[in-house]
Amino acid sequence: MSETATPTLTAAASAEDAFKIYGKGDSEVRALDGVTVTFDVGRFTAIMGPSGSGKSTLMHCLAGLDSLTSGTVRIGDTDISQLSDKALTRLRREQVGFIFQAYNLIPTLTALENIRLPLDLGGESGDQSWIDQVVDAVNLRDRLEHRPSELSGGQQQRVAVARALASRPRIIFADEPTGNLDSRTGTEILKFMRRAVSEFGQTIVMVTHDAVAASYADRVVFLADGRIVDEMTEPTADRVLDRMKKLGN
Amino acid sequence: MSTPVPRLTLRGVLARKWRIFLTVLAVVSGVAFVSGAFVLTDSVKRAINELFATLSGDVDLEVRSTVAFGDAARAERDPVPFEVADAIASVDGVAKVEVNILRAATVITSDGEPLRTTGPSFGIAWEGPDGLDGRTLVDGDFARGPGQITLDQSSARRAGYQIGDTVTIVGPNGKGEFELVGLNGTGSTSNGGGAAIIAFDPQTANEFLGTQNRADSLYIALADGASRDDVQQAVQAAIDTKYEVITGEQSAQETAGAINDVIDIFGNVLLGFAAVSLFVSAFLIFNTFAIIVSQRLRELALLRAVGASTRQIRSMIVGESLIVSILATVLGIFAGMGVAVGIVALFNATGAAFPSASLIVSTRTVLASLFVGVGVTVAAAVIPAIRAGRIPPVAAMRPELGFSALQKNKRLVVGSVVTALGVAFFGLGVFVQPGEVASTLLLAALGAVLIFLGISSLSTTVAAPASRAISRTLPLPFLPMTRSVAGRLGSRNAQRTPRRTASTASALMIGLALVSTVAVVAESIRQTFREQLEGSVTADFFISNGPQNFQGLPVAFAERLLELPELGAVSPFRGSVALVNGDEKQIGAVRGSAFKDLVDIDLQDGSVESLDEGKMLLHEDPAADYGVGVGDSLSITWQNGTEQTIEVGGVYADSSIAGNWLVGLDTLAAVSTAQPVDFFIGAKIADGVSIDDARIAVEKIAADFPSAEVQNQAEFQQSQEDQFNQLLIVIYGLLIISIAIAVLGIANTMALSVFERTREFGLLRAVGMSKRMLKRSIRWEAVIVAVFGAVLGIVVGVPLGAAVTTALPESFVDRVVIPFPTIISVLITAIVVGVVAAIGPARRAAKLDVLEAISST
Ligand SMILES: Nc1ncnc2c1ncn2[C@@H]1O[C@H](COP(=O)(O)OP(=O)(O)OP(=O)(O)O)[C@@H](O)[C@H]1O
Ligand SMILES: [Mg+2]
Repeated sequence: MSETATPTLTAAASAEDAFKIYGKGDSEVRALDGVTVTFDVGRFTAIMGPSGSGKSTLMHCLAGLDSLTSGTVRIGDTDISQLSDKALTRLRREQVGFIFQAYNLIPTLTALENIRLPLDLGGESGDQSWIDQVVDAVNLRDRLEHRPSELSGGQQQRVAVARALASRPRIIFADEPTGNLDSRTGTEILKFMRRAVSEFGQTIVMVTHDAVAASYADRVVFLADGRIVDEMTEPTADRVLDRMKKLGN
Repeated sequence: MSTPVPRLTLRGVLARKWRIFLTVLAVVSGVAFVSGAFVLTDSVKRAINELFATLSGDVDLEVRSTVAFGDAARAERDPVPFEVADAIASVDGVAKVEVNILRAATVITSDGEPLRTTGPSFGIAWEGPDGLDGRTLVDGDFARGPGQITLDQSSARRAGYQIGDTVTIVGPNGKGEFELVGLNGTGSTSNGGGAAIIAFDPQTANEFLGTQNRADSLYIALADGASRDDVQQAVQAAIDTKYEVITGEQSAQETAGAINDVIDIFGNVLLGFAAVSLFVSAFLIFNTFAIIVSQRLRELALLRAVGASTRQIRSMIVGESLIVSILATVLGIFAGMGVAVGIVALFNATGAAFPSASLIVSTRTVLASLFVGVGVTVAAAVIPAIRAGRIPPVAAMRPELGFSALQKNKRLVVGSVVTALGVAFFGLGVFVQPGEVASTLLLAALGAVLIFLGISSLSTTVAAPASRAISRTLPLPFLPMTRSVAGRLGSRNAQRTPRRTASTASALMIGLALVSTVAVVAESIRQTFREQLEGSVTADFFISNGPQNFQGLPVAFAERLLELPELGAVSPFRGSVALVNGDEKQIGAVRGSAFKDLVDIDLQDGSVESLDEGKMLLHEDPAADYGVGVGDSLSITWQNGTEQTIEVGGVYADSSIAGNWLVGLDTLAAVSTAQPVDFFIGAKIADGVSIDDARIAVEKIAADFPSAEVQNQAEFQQSQEDQFNQLLIVIYGLLIISIAIAVLGIANTMALSVFERTREFGLLRAVGMSKRMLKRSIRWEAVIVAVFGAVLGIVVGVPLGAAVTTALPESFVDRVVIPFPTIISVLITAIVVGVVAAIGPARRAAKLDVLEAISST
């Protein structure tokens, strides 16, 4: 049914009737309560919602880090709930990129080794000119041999963004990637993510609490109590803030 | 760039090198025992073989008496009369015949004391450097006639003599004075491997050593061009068939083989302790990797999130253990060479003078060390690696989800099953004793290992309540009470990671369980033995050849005691081996009429005096086995081949001194022409003589036999117990090494925990905890873990010891004694162990910078 509604060609990832239920009986928590959503190729989508609304849960399930209680998640054409751990691992390595709020990097590896990690894990050499382009874009050329402990928070986040891009995944998930950064460094990262979408055609899904951050996206999806309650295209900070205020009340 | 797993592995090890250091140390010590055992046995054996090959020197053939059974090198052979040498000298192809005489003899030092040696002390016949044996003249001249001797260089030095001095020597028939004319050597060494060698010319040897024109064996050199096989046959044809002709090489190999057997036993003991320390190390390794995995939870989850497969994570952890193990094994092999050198040096320091041996590290040594070192380490890391693979990628953001993955729990079931299996194996090995000694031991050891593993697994369940109970009941004046904040914190921390507490304690449990087992068995034997001795010793004096006990006393001693009017009953105790109905047995020989007054053997039937009528006495156990009683007969074959049928004259129940088989002195003398020695002599004072007067009289004779030791009843009992205690000290000493490894384990776990709690400690310090309190809380935690380990050890060890004791023959131990003083000292040791193990980690925790600690994640 949904195949007709969301043509597979343009969908980088999608969720259909997604439920994620923690606990049983009285203590039951419906982190996702019937979510159906599609993320188109080459678009930058922001997910917003009050704390506890299920944003992180949705992202983890979309990215194959966690499994749904019921429902379907697709990355491209692949129904990931059907995949073995091995296949899922491979899918994460090749088709999905991550940027977390913090603790993105392996402390014992240098910046460059961290960037190449998904490629190296798969035993691939990757596209060197693309990696050079990414490294230059995030402005890390002179920091490549440093260990994470020798980098600032912003630099560490830029390494994480570069790593997410390095394997040219079908889709990148970012959970509050700027949450730990000051606004100037945060803006830098957001601008770069925006560029990755506009110039390189990358698909990005980002969870954020920040209306300004959301305004860099092409589209904003609003979650509340595990359901999609609204969405907005061509967002501006003011409109998003407005919408959030209503949700909060 | 290549696959990142090796890189991640290597970096993982480097980033944690201090955390892994103690683990390496534990593996090193285990491997050092293995390689040390092999290096030592290989090197010393080679040196011994070379020594005896040199000693056989130019001996082409050797003639000796045959024996009917038993080990060729250790057999008691009848001597060969000198006439046989004359017969051989005229055989074609024989260039030279020499007599070989070797008898116990002692050097009296310039201070008037008998020279103590770790090896035997011998008088020999030596024809000088041109003689056929391989002795060399190091300095001076060789003994050419009466009144002359040479000594080995080391004995001369230690006894304080120089060439030209007059030296007193005690031989089988008493003292003699000789001029030291030179120093002899053996092969490359300046002495005979710890033995004292006193060399006489053959005629003097014959007289002074009392061999009565009979040699131990004859050495033959071939004429140039003679065929050895032909001469061997010709010599055999020329003499009685009770003599055999063997080659010099065979003789050397037999003698070396006997010594090599002893070295092998020594090596096997070392390997046994290697097994114990490696087993303990395995716990330490397991623990280290388990802790490291949980500390790296986020990192491992992140790797999974960006696409590392379960297998890649597992190979990373196993790879880390591989690096650690190879490093540790290589160090361990070198440390093993150190162990070998150390043991040789230790023996040499006590006068043994091992032949100087170059260290031999054979391929087998390296392979065995690698096998155990790498095998044990990697095996111990497998479970942590499997767990690491289970960490879900979400744990990168939600670490709490990861911990539950690390803690899948089937321990209660698995632990119970493994413990039950262990008990079954152990019981089978100890009580049923199927097959040979080796398989019994193996079964019991396997059972013990399973019990240890099972209990260690079960102990996780009780670790938390046990820690709480221990912290409540430890009423120690020198440690702060649980009511203090530090005490409470320490106790809570021990409870919060029960798994870690349990496996750390388990490492200590093993060593202490073995100590408890040994203590129960030893104390039970000791008390049984003591009571038996008290009940059975009725002699007033016991005389033995103190430090050179194994050489025995010259029989002349007992003969002179017999003439003393101050003494009543006097009997020597001699021994030999014989086949009884085809089985090889140790047989004692005594003077029955006297022996009955000296030792109460708890006679059940017959009479002790019957020994003097040529009958034999035996213990009730073999009597039952052979189905014989008084009046029945047994067929005996002595080592020289003489066969006899001997009537049973009595059956007794106490074998503590008499052993299982007794014959009369005359019975033994009639069949054996080998020179007899007395293991000990028992004597009772004559009626109306005071014990002091009797002792003075005995000591006067003993003055002519300087190495003899005269003991009264109490002294004798004490010396018997001392021997037993010495053996125990060696066993305890080696078990201490396993305890030391466990201390490393506790220190290691504490260090890792301190590292993990950096932030928490920072907080505590920030809100006002003093460094001293912080240290104290860590010390408390370590003490709780150690006491938990000790309690587990006692709980496991005491029943094991009781089981072994029950399984041993009744005549050997007849009771189970639980040695409470030992158990209390085990507990005290544990507290000390805890305090010691906490020193490093506590110091580190106290050194943390408060601000840095708080800002760390
Ligand atoms: N492992 C879990 N067990 C039980 N409940 C959980 C678990 N993980 C998440 N939840 C619940 O699911 C709901 C959604 O959580 P989620 O982390 O997705 O929220 P979020 O929108 O990301 O919130 P925030 O903005 O604070 O990060 C919350 O009510 C949370 O308490
Ligand atoms: Mg969230």
